[in-house]
Amino acid sequence: MLSYLIRRTAIGGLTLSLITFIVFGLIRNMPGTPLTLDQAEQTGDIELSEERIKQLEKAYGLDKPWPVAYVVWIGNIARGDMGRSFTRKRPVSELIVERIGPTLLLSLASLGLTYLMAVPLGLLFSARAGRLDERLASTVLYMLYSFPSFVAALFLQLYLCVRLGWLPLFGMVSDNYEDLSSIDQAVDIFWHALLPVTCYTYGSLAYYSRFIRANLQEVIRQDYIRTARAKGLGPVRVLWHHAFRNTLIPLVTLIGLTLPTLLSGSIIIEQIFTWPGMGRLFFESIRERDYPTIMGLTLMFSVLTLIGQLLADVLYAVVDPRVRLEDK
Amino acid sequence: MTGEENVVDPEGEPAPTPAGPLHAVIPKSPGFWKEAWQRFRGRKLAMAALAFVALLAMVALFSPAIAGTKPVVVRYKGRIYFPAMAYFNRHWENPVFANDKFRKRYPKNLEDKDPESWAIWPLSFNDPYRRVQGNEWAGRPGNPTQDKGRPSRLNWFGTDQRGVDVFAQMVHGARIALLVGFVSMGIASAIGIIVGALAGYFGGWVDTLLSRLIEVVLCIPTLVLILALLAIIEQVTIWHMMTVIGATRWTSIARLTRAEFLKLKQMDFVAAARATGIGPIRIMVRYLLPNALAPVLVPITFGIAAAILIESGLSFLGFGAPPPNPSWGTLLSAGRSNYELWWLIVFPGTAIFLAVLAYNLIGEGLQEATDPRLRDTGD
Repeated sequence: MLSYLIRRTAIGGLTLSLITFIVFGLIRNMPGTPLTLDQAEQTGDIELSEERIKQLEKAYGLDKPWPVAYVVWIGNIARGDMGRSFTRKRPVSELIVERIGPTLLLSLASLGLTYLMAVPLGLLFSARAGRLDERLASTVLYMLYSFPSFVAALFLQLYLCVRLGWLPLFGMVSDNYEDLSSIDQAVDIFWHALLPVTCYTYGSLAYYSRFIRANLQEVIRQDYIRTARAKGLGPVRVLWHHAFRNTLIPLVTLIGLTLPTLLSGSIIIEQIFTWPGMGRLFFESIRERDYPTIMGLTLMFSVLTLIGQLLADVLYAVVDPRVRLEDK
Repeated sequence: MTGEENVVDPEGEPAPTPAGPLHAVIPKSPGFWKEAWQRFRGRKLAMAALAFVALLAMVALFSPAIAGTKPVVVRYKGRIYFPAMAYFNRHWENPVFANDKFRKRYPKNLEDKDPESWAIWPLSFNDPYRRVQGNEWAGRPGNPTQDKGRPSRLNWFGTDQRGVDVFAQMVHGARIALLVGFVSMGIASAIGIIVGALAGYFGGWVDTLLSRLIEVVLCIPTLVLILALLAIIEQVTIWHMMTVIGATRWTSIARLTRAEFLKLKQMDFVAAARATGIGPIRIMVRYLLPNALAPVLVPITFGIAAAILIESGLSFLGFGAPPPNPSWGTLLSAGRSNYELWWLIVFPGTAIFLAVLAYNLIGEGLQEATDPRLRDTGD
């Protein structure tokens, strides 16, 4: 196990440096620099002098060719310094910490809701497999699964926020948030988070409940289920104690793979609801050519993706003793 | 071989031979694809989805005849022309109309310059790229602009703030949606199958190298990759977007192809082929690929749905091809700037949903029709 972990970590480190190298090269070759984009916004009033641009380029490290700048960047990363954002004039790590809360609020709430609902739904579906109500519900869920989240977000906004006026259209807090008591503040955030969480949840709910059902259907054909039925156990006990437990293995690996999405947020959903999370930060930093922020976020996502994959493999071996990691 | 051994029974009694010629008794077993098609046909939803995609293809193919301001067929100064073809390609419009200074206004000009002329017009007189002005068509008012463009008899799905008809944009957008799906997934499957086949067949360091490549592409956030690639291009067109989407979406296809090839290359028929001296490329293309195609087709179909989703999402975020570009996602983003214009959200949103759903259903049907594990379970 240990040698496996060490090998995977080493390979992961290599992959990581390759990814960051490619992304660094790509973004440095995108047209426009943070300086020129800054200038374009300032409508020529305070046009930067040639000298000042040179000065700023030196300060930001833009005067070096990008492979050299990459080496500097990775050196800083090794010392735990992600650099400072060009446009926000603050350390990148501080920005990430600030944005991670809102994103986690959405993704954790959605993950919890998904599991809470998907497991009973999946069980119910397999208990009533083939009947009319199950097939109807499955079809509806499948349609939901295919419903693009940004289209759903717009439809919900249109109906619930604009037409009925029940929910706030966007943002995380109301304008008078500062004046509210702490209970009202929580309620305020709850109302604002309702639609984004819905949009996050429904798709994965459909996916997970179908996933659980498909796994259950496979397990239910096994001999030990027939044995359990033969010795006179009721359908609930068979399904829950004998069948469902054996479907946990693929479910566990899924958890590992959802790790990166937990923190990355959804760019498009956060953009629609102007939710101050990671996805939006990423979107804005790409627009502003804020190299240190893009790189910091890319690094974080890649690390999480790699850890997630490793976690999935390790968890797989932990829950299923038949799997051996060494003889891969 | 075992059959022949059984004929000479140790007991001395010869085995009874079947009456009549042997080959006449055994019915020809249906091929894999025929069987798969039969199973696919049994699934109502998948067939409905297939019909919907076919309908979409028809709409895309006949888009200039459904909505446009150029006649489908026109007899002008004694000759027959097809000006509506200009919607497919600008250069397919006969220069005679440009020379006669039509300036894209056909109805009046035709009447003025050749009273003898006749024309067959599209179903809906609306242009996907510009607003129809007042009296362009005798007696027809101009399209409403700003937020007055509710769906009406003339503008079935309403108009956007510039006064451009939404129905016309959606009909011509169907072309983009279909193209995006097929072209980008065509590129993705070409890359994915080649990479996966090489990695799976050769194994060793080739596999290690290519697997690393797959992992790297998989880990780079898709949006960064797509945006960075798009940003390098001077003038983004829809073709660039398709290429970029295709160049980033091949990883799952490559992984599946690799797994299939790894499994298949152990089989006896491959060893037999190798023993007869067939080269690796021929083995891969003629022996392995046909057997690996069915499972690989499934992620390709799902990939088409994903590509449509990505294109509309990018257009929605404002990273798509610049206007005039009647992509469904562009329409949606126009709707987002003013929620009062519900028709800018409801119609394109539904279209995106239906297209994605259709491809997902087809993919699912394909999966169940070709997966041997699911074959005998009925349902």
